[in-house]
Amino acid sequence: MTGRFLVRSVPKLALALFPALAYVFLYVPILHIAVASFSRDILWPYPVRFTLDAYMALFRSTIYQEALSNSLLLAFGTAVLSTLLATLAVFGLMKYRSPWKGWVLFLFVSPLFVADVLLGISTLILNGLFLDIPGNLVSAILANTVRAFTYALLIVATQMFRYNWLLNDAAMVCGAGQVRTFFEITLPIIWPSLLGAFIVTFILSFNNLDISYYSLGAVPTMPAVAWGSLRFGIKPELYAITVLVNAAVLLCLLVMFLLMKSETVRFGYRAGRDT
Amino acid sequence: MSAGAIGAAVSRRWLALGSSQRFLIVTAPVTLFLLLFLVVPLLSIFVVSLWRTESYRLIVDWNLQNYHDVLTEASYRTFLLRSVLSALIVSVASVLLAWPVAYFVIRHGGRYKLLLVLCLAVPFLTGIVLRVIALQGVLGPIGLLNLGLMKLGVPPVQALMYTKTATIVGLVYLYLPFVITAIYLSLLNFDFKLVEAAKVFGAGNVRAFFAVTWPLNWIGTVVGFTLTFIPSLASSITPRFLGGADGTLYGMAMGSQFSATGTWSLGAAMGAVLFVVSGIAIFTISRLVNLRRSGFTGAGSRE
Repeated sequence: MTGRFLVRSVPKLALALFPALAYVFLYVPILHIAVASFSRDILWPYPVRFTLDAYMALFRSTIYQEALSNSLLLAFGTAVLSTLLATLAVFGLMKYRSPWKGWVLFLFVSPLFVADVLLGISTLILNGLFLDIPGNLVSAILANTVRAFTYALLIVATQMFRYNWLLNDAAMVCGAGQVRTFFEITLPIIWPSLLGAFIVTFILSFNNLDISYYSLGAVPTMPAVAWGSLRFGIKPELYAITVLVNAAVLLCLLVMFLLMKSETVRFGYRAGRDT
Repeated sequence: MSAGAIGAAVSRRWLALGSSQRFLIVTAPVTLFLLLFLVVPLLSIFVVSLWRTESYRLIVDWNLQNYHDVLTEASYRTFLLRSVLSALIVSVASVLLAWPVAYFVIRHGGRYKLLLVLCLAVPFLTGIVLRVIALQGVLGPIGLLNLGLMKLGVPPVQALMYTKTATIVGLVYLYLPFVITAIYLSLLNFDFKLVEAAKVFGAGNVRAFFAVTWPLNWIGTVVGFTLTFIPSLASSITPRFLGGADGTLYGMAMGSQFSATGTWSLGAAMGAVLFVVSGIAIFTISRLVNLRRSGFTGAGSRE
């Protein structure tokens, strides 16, 4: 009995080591920073001597405040634009048949395979040399949207893949127009995936450095300011930012998780839902 | 004409169109957007790479000198080769680490599956800079690991202080969540009854894995590999902070053409070379994938 139990559970436990290590690998740095940010000694914060100095320094700094509002604006613009474009793209791709579909799909996923630095540099060259536009927030939003759009596309597509188009036909038979059908039938069903796409693209573009750095010029964003001060060594404020951003991201995902858990919202594929 | 009448006319016109025409019209804004803000900027890189820079000013003078410089100068060649090699190591290591994690979560995650996967997304979403800060706090010369070792009287680990190894560890840290997610999504749509069938016919666990699970989820492996390889190849922030003096990578050298030295056209040529190298990599990898054989059904085939 115990022998059999061992034979069955040892491989499982050995396999469990990998995820355990992965989570330790991913989270120990973040947890260490979190503890250190509340400590007087940020290098070796054990045992913790509690202080809020790092956070005070962060909140007093005007540079970080300006950077924060720029980053929020950039992230909001990118998230709205990429979610809109992704919805339109998925709608077109799933609803209609066309011999051009392969090429269009290829174009739509291609940003995933162009590195951030290249996107940033190419925007810088086009704006700076050909159009003579200095770095600005709008260019940064557009360049970030190129990248974020593909993520939004994938998120919305996983949900729409299971969408029942007969609902739309039914609405139109009952006399609703295209636009009304979208707002009264499709949108109420797919909004969770749009929200998911919005949240993910918001967070991604908020934290992006490579694209924003080249397309923004002198406009500071949060990651750019953090990167600038990182070059002069670790400062307590940097730890404080890292902790706050991680906490915000964790909170967003927790909300998404609770929504999914309570079955208010369903993301992605569910086996046997409509088969 | 009233608004209603215009609406009706538009609606009638719309219904007269074929499916393909409707498809092109609906997706036109997206296509236009990507052409304007992805394709045109990339083309401008190629144009500028054929020009010349002189004391921070660009001169229109068509020539191939920049490409000649990039491809013949020993330092750039070293950076490029070093970048390709580290990107390969990072991608292979990430795939090897990601497989058991994704597999465990799918098979034994149970009701915590979703939570386990969402937890992986947190470090991925916080961006490169913040993750480099966090990593440095643990692996740096005065980080958790080395200070801890010193407190125990053990000499610090030299390999993790501003070396190429540190860059590789840093890149794996950055992209591991991505690879796990790719393989997880592939496994999520995989029918494990096929493995049971293989076992019924006498295959052992190992054989069933390598004959059924691995090949049928090849698409997840390939997507995860590619999505790690491409950004690792171009990485500039991670090596600048973790790589040390002899750890310069190609992306870093490219970035400095635009900030430090102002040699934009040379930087553009480096960008073009990077684009081509990435393209070759993606093409080579995509040749390894036979969508139908790898069990991919996501393209919506209706047979």
